[in-house]
Amino acid sequence: MHYIFKACVSASALLLGAVTSASAWEPTKPVELIVAAGPGGASDQMARMMQAAIQKNNLMKQPIVVSLKGGASGAEALMYMKGSDGDAHKVLVAYSLIYMLPLSAKLPFNWRDLTPVSILALDQFALWTNAGQPHKTVKDLVDAAKASSVPLKMGGTGSKREDHILTVFMEKKTGAKFSYLPYKSGGEAATQLVGNHIASNVNNPSENLEVWRAGQVRPLCVFDKERIAYKTKVAGDLSWNDVPTCKEQGLDIQYLMLRAMFLPGKVKPEETAFYADLFKRVSETAEFKDYLERQALKPIFLAGAEMRKFLEEDDALNKALMTEAGFVAK
Amino acid sequence: MEAFSLLLHGFSVLLTWKTLVLMMVGLLLGVFVGVLPGLGGPNGVAILLPLTFTMDPTSAIVMLSCIYWGSLFGGAITSILFNIPGEAWSVATTFDGYPMAQQGKAAEALTAAFTSSFIGSLFAVMLITFLAPSIASFALKFGPPEFFAVYLLTFCSFVGLGREDKHKTIISMVLGLLLAGVGMDTVSGSLRMTFGFEDLLRGISFLVAVIGLFGISEILLTMEERLALRGHAARISLRVVWNVWKELPRYWATLLRSSMIGTWLGVTPGGAIAASFMGYNLAKRFSNDKESFGKGRIEGVFAPETAAHASGTAALLPMLALGIPGSGTAAILLGGLMVWGLNPGPLLFVEHKDFVWGLIASMYLGNVVGLFIVLSTVPIFAAILRVPFAAIAPMIVVSCAIGAYAIQNAMFDLWLMVLFGVVGYVFKKVGIPLAPFALALVLGNRAEDAFRLSMIGGQGDLGVFWSNGLVGTITTLAIVLLFWPLIEKVWTQATRRLSSAKA
Amino acid sequence: MANSDKEIVVEDPTAPGADSPAVVSNRVVDAAVMILLLGLAVLLGYDNYRTGMSWEDTGPQAGYMPFYLSVILAGAALYGLVTALSSRDAAATDAFVTRAQLSRVMQVLVPTVLFVLMTAWLGIYISSFLLIVGFMWGIGRIAIWKSVLTALLLTAALFVTFQYAFDVIMPKGPLEAALGY
Repeated sequence: MHYIFKACVSASALLLGAVTSASAWEPTKPVELIVAAGPGGASDQMARMMQAAIQKNNLMKQPIVVSLKGGASGAEALMYMKGSDGDAHKVLVAYSLIYMLPLSAKLPFNWRDLTPVSILALDQFALWTNAGQPHKTVKDLVDAAKASSVPLKMGGTGSKREDHILTVFMEKKTGAKFSYLPYKSGGEAATQLVGNHIASNVNNPSENLEVWRAGQVRPLCVFDKERIAYKTKVAGDLSWNDVPTCKEQGLDIQYLMLRAMFLPGKVKPEETAFYADLFKRVSETAEFKDYLERQALKPIFLAGAEMRKFLEEDDALNKALMTEAGFVAK
Repeated sequence: MEAFSLLLHGFSVLLTWKTLVLMMVGLLLGVFVGVLPGLGGPNGVAILLPLTFTMDPTSAIVMLSCIYWGSLFGGAITSILFNIPGEAWSVATTFDGYPMAQQGKAAEALTAAFTSSFIGSLFAVMLITFLAPSIASFALKFGPPEFFAVYLLTFCSFVGLGREDKHKTIISMVLGLLLAGVGMDTVSGSLRMTFGFEDLLRGISFLVAVIGLFGISEILLTMEERLALRGHAARISLRVVWNVWKELPRYWATLLRSSMIGTWLGVTPGGAIAASFMGYNLAKRFSNDKESFGKGRIEGVFAPETAAHASGTAALLPMLALGIPGSGTAAILLGGLMVWGLNPGPLLFVEHKDFVWGLIASMYLGNVVGLFIVLSTVPIFAAILRVPFAAIAPMIVVSCAIGAYAIQNAMFDLWLMVLFGVVGYVFKKVGIPLAPFALALVLGNRAEDAFRLSMIGGQGDLGVFWSNGLVGTITTLAIVLLFWPLIEKVWTQATRRLSSAKA
Repeated sequence: MANSDKEIVVEDPTAPGADSPAVVSNRVVDAAVMILLLGLAVLLGYDNYRTGMSWEDTGPQAGYMPFYLSVILAGAALYGLVTALSSRDAAATDAFVTRAQLSRVMQVLVPTVLFVLMTAWLGIYISSFLLIVGFMWGIGRIAIWKSVLTALLLTAALFVTFQYAFDVIMPKGPLEAALGY
């Protein structure tokens, strides 16, 4: 017991000793970083990186804890935020789920009820196949899908969400048929691709990075207008920049997903200001920059009115895609 | 023998005073969080993770993994003393562990639990050491049909075992499966059985249900009888430990079987839970004295604990080798690895040999040191039984409430816990068994998802469950187990006829 | 290490008498449970029917498995109801719970319900303190100073553990707010 107490005391002393920030308002208790996804997924990784960046650089006095609320495909986290009006000690690590889940599952949730703080990055999507399979280009895969008597299997995270939308639009643009397998996390979809249980997946770069480095999967293209900028060699002698865009490969689909931070509704302006400042400083840390590059995220920093404008446009875009894919619940 | 020299290298990394002290601190903290309600393995590791950010990765992982071993050991304590499983895989430990404690054999039960945890872990670590690369690739063979087959095997090993009326076993299991389905359905992304209640979106948390069913209902039952408690002033003597250890060779088959099941299931996510139930059921099935299970048989503690801990240990392997966490705690360790700049994946074994083998070596040392630490603290825990029930009862209620609340920070869960407490009380009294309910609630959703993903992949053809050797074998085994009582009957009749024909 | 095991038995002077009249028989409770389960099965079955319970070309719909599970539950409950009512077993007419037993069960259940109710308003720490004091003193007949001391120490320990050492956020009430937590 003595040890435990000592360890705890020294830990809290460590945290209390952090450098004071310039903001007027500061958190008075531990801040919860809410992740709307399961362990090991891209959101979880981002939250843990932020936690480490904040603590290593002493950006905040109070500790920050990551809390996973991935139940009901992330709906748990959204409803939790919705029910925490005015509590400035909870921050949601949001992604396009905030637009889609209310449409597909008739979830009584609207992101406008929360307080947007900042957008930290945009996440890419890529089309991947197993490295042991002969498909080296998008055309190879599409031809194989058309030739196959049973539809090829495409893996992704969740149902009626970004991954599923990309699959539906691939079918629409190419005329090939895929059967979409909704897994619980991107990590699972990655492993299943390595094990050859699916022919391809549409994971975020971060979710397939390690298996790519191990030479087990092959990226065919990224769903963006331009190639990923990072030129550092990642897997063998390939860099993210060497992966063609899907458009170059004759598949004209673009989709980027926001990675943004939200506070609950009805928080005070000075509280929002504190976090906007905090995340601005997080985005300037070496840890964060390194993270963006490793995971091939697109750097962007938006807050305030700019962010709202972006969210409104992004919302409209996602709604249009959801409607066209037929995923809006009646 | 490359593995052997790498392991020796791992020990050399580890054997410094600093690491050994960290190890002891980690173990004590682990036992502490394992016993504390509402913390348990994953939460404890998550909360203590920030402590290690300033350490170098090897020291940090040694400390964290020791917290993990400690919490695995600690989880057994509440199961045995209070019938409150701290973790999902401790449920099966309560079946015989709690009756033993009631009979005044708490010290024996705890010793048995700790010892078999140790054996299970050790078995799995040895296997990890020598088979790491090949086990990792075996995990990759598991697609949806294989996962479903494993879950089916777990369910089938349960049906037809109980002494209870068959229809009551069915009610219990079906009710668990139904409640597991409440909330969002992953495969179609739509809501079901929520009746518009926001609180039901999350689904019914397994741990909340179990805390109510086992913890609260037990207090109601105890209260109904009398405010009395029989306990042992169990000053653990070497004699108790020796007496339990003396028994070990007799149960070598159970220990070996559970170790193998645990290691095998550990490399698949959620495996420890399935492993503990399967270990228990198979021990019961192969036993000559099935009736004594559930009434405080020491083998009923050995079997699930060995399997759960073999599995808990083996769960680290897919995390290191593939980056897929096999358990909640492994998932948090995974987060830790990334914080220290290590990327779990097939390359970890190549790029960070020091770290990987340091960790594997710490599994050996941590378990040996852990066993002695927990054994020496048994008397403290067993002494809890001496406190009057009128003081213990409200404390258990408080503990249950804290545990139930901490899972999802929801007040609604406290009401669910009370409801399940009443349900558990009534079910126990009318003879509806609770174990199938708990099993179905925890595995029901995964089993259904795996089934439906198999169906999507296999174009709705049930043939996928026999589409290759691996899945075919598991499925067939499951069906054989399901009809085992029938097969056994036919078999004995056939042999009798044969022998009478001969005569 | 020569200490031999010593048995402790805590006797209970307030144990319920064996002669207390039965409140309800096993048969009635058994039947009532089966009827409740039957009702639940019908309710869930209906909801899943609405969700969709057919088999598409890509496998079962969201309501398929739960729908058939509800059917099985209904069947098993019906069977259970019939057996409960027709049972000639002597145990069926035995007392499910006697009046003395029921009142004792209520002695735990009612405080537990009150405790949960209070937690929503007063937070978990104050409610825990009240529950422990109330139970030890009121029901366990343990001296008031012992009860208050135990409850105070325990609640304080819980508070320090969760609030400071582990940063676990527990429901708190007006008192904690007044003290600045």
